[in-house]
Amino acid sequence: MPRETFQHELDSLLSDVLDLGAEVEGSLQNMVIAMENRDASVADRELGVDVRYKMRGAEIDEECMILQARQAPVARDLRLLYTAQAVTNHLVRSGTLCEHICHAVAETDGHERDEDLEAALVEMARTARNIFHEGMDIFKNRDIDRARDLQATDDKVDLLYSEALNLIANPADGGSGSPEWRMRASLMVHYLERIADHGVDIGGRTVFLVTGERIENAMQQYMKRNTNPDEEQT
Amino acid sequence: MEQSKTQREQSVPDSKRRTGDGETPREQEPGKRDNVIVAEDLTAYYGSFKALDSISMNIERNKITALIGPSGCGKSTYLRCLNRMHEVIGGARMEGRLLLDGQNMVDKDVDPVQVRRRVGMVFQKPNPFPTMTIYDNVVAGLKLEKRRKKSELNDIVEHTLKQAALWDEVKNKLKDSGMSLSGGQQQRLCIARTLAVEPEVILMDEPASALDPMSTQKIEDAMEELKEQYTVVIVTHNMQQAARVSDYTGFFFIEEQGDPGRLWEFDDTQKIFSNPERKETEDYVTGRFG
Repeated sequence: MPRETFQHELDSLLSDVLDLGAEVEGSLQNMVIAMENRDASVADRELGVDVRYKMRGAEIDEECMILQARQAPVARDLRLLYTAQAVTNHLVRSGTLCEHICHAVAETDGHERDEDLEAALVEMARTARNIFHEGMDIFKNRDIDRARDLQATDDKVDLLYSEALNLIANPADGGSGSPEWRMRASLMVHYLERIADHGVDIGGRTVFLVTGERIENAMQQYMKRNTNPDEEQT
Repeated sequence: MEQSKTQREQSVPDSKRRTGDGETPREQEPGKRDNVIVAEDLTAYYGSFKALDSISMNIERNKITALIGPSGCGKSTYLRCLNRMHEVIGGARMEGRLLLDGQNMVDKDVDPVQVRRRVGMVFQKPNPFPTMTIYDNVVAGLKLEKRRKKSELNDIVEHTLKQAALWDEVKNKLKDSGMSLSGGQQQRLCIARTLAVEPEVILMDEPASALDPMSTQKIEDAMEELKEQYTVVIVTHNMQQAARVSDYTGFFFIEEQGDPGRLWEFDDTQKIFSNPERKETEDYVTGRFG
């Protein structure tokens, strides 16, 4: 096949991005476990991942830059490089947010907590992890129909976000948790919402990779399509 | 003047049309594009061999249109049809309509020499007249016409050499032989010679393929300036060059060996190089074949 070396380099780049994604997903899984079980030791394992992910992100950026300089990519190859860089950015940022949350869990170990708020946080964390996983799976399989569905799933995170903010603003009488934990909880709410957004964006980037169109444009076509099979048959 | 429906359909940029598979082009606002050349079902033969099949392609005024495609797909044949140089080859002929500012250039009573004055050509290999000076090379085409004052010729030489981005390099040696110049300079001299007869359209058949990178860059810079005044059609095998310099790109393709060349996809250059409609176009521009 022509451009065999180039194709090999693109495959290798994609593999690096997917590997980084798998590692970040592993960190998010530990984050959820630490939050569910109030387990500071699991949270501790994720301290320091930020630096590692940033280094990996810089290496992928460099790979992309070298490929652009040497291979002058166009069309689907160019979209792949652009998307690889964008997705890597989402991965690194999600990794950073994950470490922030694990810091908060580790440093508030043993603190009194607001149970309702904690339950909302755990539910947000699970949802964010699932959305992030779905985004990466969409990217891996280039399954853009699911990318559109993922946009809708993000609404659940937005609802949980509102609920958590409401609980922060209106603490229950008694059992509202230590001040430091409440302060950390308010930051965690925001971080989790951001992680879910990064997951949704990874799915959106996949739409551009496959179709060459921004998801906002592609979504319009999707909304207009006929989804009623009975009507299609007539 | 309002364009006919056929003309509107063949205008590329608004219709975003794909060709070759009979797909219906999208509607386009009438009169939006100013097409200097309109080709309608242009078919070209070398003897009994059909080299081009039913090309319908508009060339917009003051734009650069690039023609790309694998070897033998008909892009140079199409270029040579545009100024009736195709028929110079024995047994070669073309059918269909080729309108230059609305006038059918394929009509028997149209003088091909007049067509070539209006549609000039720059070839792959620089071909200055070897016995002439730089100055005489530039005005060679003009000497076939009416006599002109020396001062008028001087002005034309300076103006066209400036347009071809060569003036500063040769202004002090206009009486030297054209062959004393480097390959890249010779090619720019040929561009100046083409410009001197004031054509409307300049056809370029791989004008930089024999040149070093700096000379190529100067030709590309010159093209960018030329399009303010002229319309340029360029055949190039250098896809980065097509991506850099052109406004529109036409991809020519043959499905099977021995088939005629077809215009496979014609669109904004940005679209062709970022998200082409057809798989064959994408495979070609990404270097997966050809």
